Amino acid sequence: MTDPITTQSAAPVTATTPVTATTPVTATTPAPNGEVVPAIELRRVARWYGNVVAVNDVSFALGAGVTGLLGPNGAGKTTLLHMLAGFLAPSAGEVLILGRGPHRDPSVYRQIGLVPEREAVYPFLTGLDYVKFNARLQGLRNPEAAARAAIARVGLDDAMDRAIGTYSKGMRQRVKVAGSLVHDPQVLLLDEPFNGMDPRQRIAMMDLLVELASAGRTILFSSHILEEVEQVGTEILVLVAGRLAASGDFRAIRALMTDRPHNITIHSSDDRRLATTLMADPAIFAVELTATGLSVQTAHLTAFRRLIAGASRTAGVRLFEVVPADESLESVFDYLVRR
Amino acid sequence: MNSIAIFAEIVRVTLRQLLGRRRTLLLVLLSALPVVLALAFRLGGETEIERFTRRIFDTITMTILLPLVAILFGSGAFGAEIDDGTVVYLLAKPIPRWLVIAAKASGAIAMSIVLTGTSTVLAGLIDLAPAGADGIHAVLAQFLAVVVGSACYVTLFLALSLFTRRALVIGIGYMLVWEGALSFILTGIANLSIRQYSLGASKAIYTLPLQEARLTAETAFVLSGVLVVASLAIATWKLMRFELPGGSD
Repeated sequence: MTDPITTQSAAPVTATTPVTATTPVTATTPAPNGEVVPAIELRRVARWYGNVVAVNDVSFALGAGVTGLLGPNGAGKTTLLHMLAGFLAPSAGEVLILGRGPHRDPSVYRQIGLVPEREAVYPFLTGLDYVKFNARLQGLRNPEAAARAAIARVGLDDAMDRAIGTYSKGMRQRVKVAGSLVHDPQVLLLDEPFNGMDPRQRIAMMDLLVELASAGRTILFSSHILEEVEQVGTEILVLVAGRLAASGDFRAIRALMTDRPHNITIHSSDDRRLATTLMADPAIFAVELTATGLSVQTAHLTAFRRLIAGASRTAGVRLFEVVPADESLESVFDYLVRR
Repeated sequence: MNSIAIFAEIVRVTLRQLLGRRRTLLLVLLSALPVVLALAFRLGGETEIERFTRRIFDTITMTILLPLVAILFGSGAFGAEIDDGTVVYLLAKPIPRWLVIAAKASGAIAMSIVLTGTSTVLAGLIDLAPAGADGIHAVLAQFLAVVVGSACYVTLFLALSLFTRRALVIGIGYMLVWEGALSFILTGIANLSIRQYSLGASKAIYTLPLQEARLTAETAFVLSGVLVVASLAIATWKLMRFELPGGSD
């Protein structure tokens, strides 16, 4: 496994030297005691089961905002979330939520909302009863009002008096989310929260997460669907085989991948002439004329941006469009998983 | 919101979990058996304390009904939640684990007492009311035995269910082999038999005509108290260390 690539709000602390972007770590959140600490922090955390290593030497810190936890099946996402939620002790290292270890400390759940991956919810309770159950166990003064407000946030008002056993999978996911945020936690941990939701419900849930993040909450959600992560935000943690392969803004991560040429598609008034000019520059690895335009490979995106302006002037060509073709989360993820 | 309100909420949900199961209906039917037999005895003119105690209370209530009901509720108070993962919704809350255990155990004990206690009292009154004060005392003694037995079986098998998914199977094995067979052969295991604790405790009210009740009331109360407290303490200890599996991803 290669070194983690780090940007902006994540701060890997590993024995090896991480590739780090210039933006400093700003992952801080006021804890209940007023001290400013990262909302979520892992320090060299490992978890193994016998000889099987599920999570290995993972370090990062997160503050307010939405972060997507990505990784292929078996990468250790659920293990990581269970450790963050206090339901698994790390075999090594330290897990901190608002500066406190969550394992064997129930009081930390005043600040944590958890949506587990497993679908089961008390089927004999109505949606409203289930969320009130959560509100009462959180010790809220007005459980009824808090539960109704949480249910309204996830758009389940119409079904709140029905037994959860009659809910669709997407509705169960939403009632789980309502139960997890009824006490307005500082940290929200969601394991595959969009599972079973239809497109309309997904968009509503994504909007809710973005809204909570903009209100200063720290949200970490796992997903194996890249489009979901891409639509909620740009911050990601990528786990591969139990190790943190990358963390931060996925576009910045892509920019740091200097060992992999950037693919750029260009549309201009004369693609052939522009290709001839670009081919003379040593920063350009390959140029290809395609049916849809000019495809260019370069190692340095920043240098290319300067280069293309001069090259178009030299060639007397008008640029219509310059589009990075592989800056999507999918291409970044694909690269991280395969390398 | 105080601990009592949280306790009541957990008990409420536990009762709904236990009541919502089809097996509860079967247990209700089973618990009606002593009442039906008592009616048959009464119609047949048999209202002697000794005969009733031996044939109905000892043979059916103490040997089958009470252990089966209490073990089912004890092992099921947490068992289903752990299996289906819903225990997370209970544990991801800022509440002390002893309170969770106490509430779960109370709900299951209450259910066991309601089912087996009602059956015991109804059957006893049907047959033993004509026996006067002795008959009433015998019924109260039998009810006390059911209460003590419910507390012991529920807490022991609730604690066991936090260690193994086979708590119910182990419980039925204990009921059939240990208490059903070995305790009749090996008199020395009276100190390790919930059935003996229950029968012994009943002597505090009335000495039922059962030769196999070997413990004194004092000894039975002490041993059953130790068992209940130890089971609750071990269950709390285990719940504090509860871990979720890592999952496949």
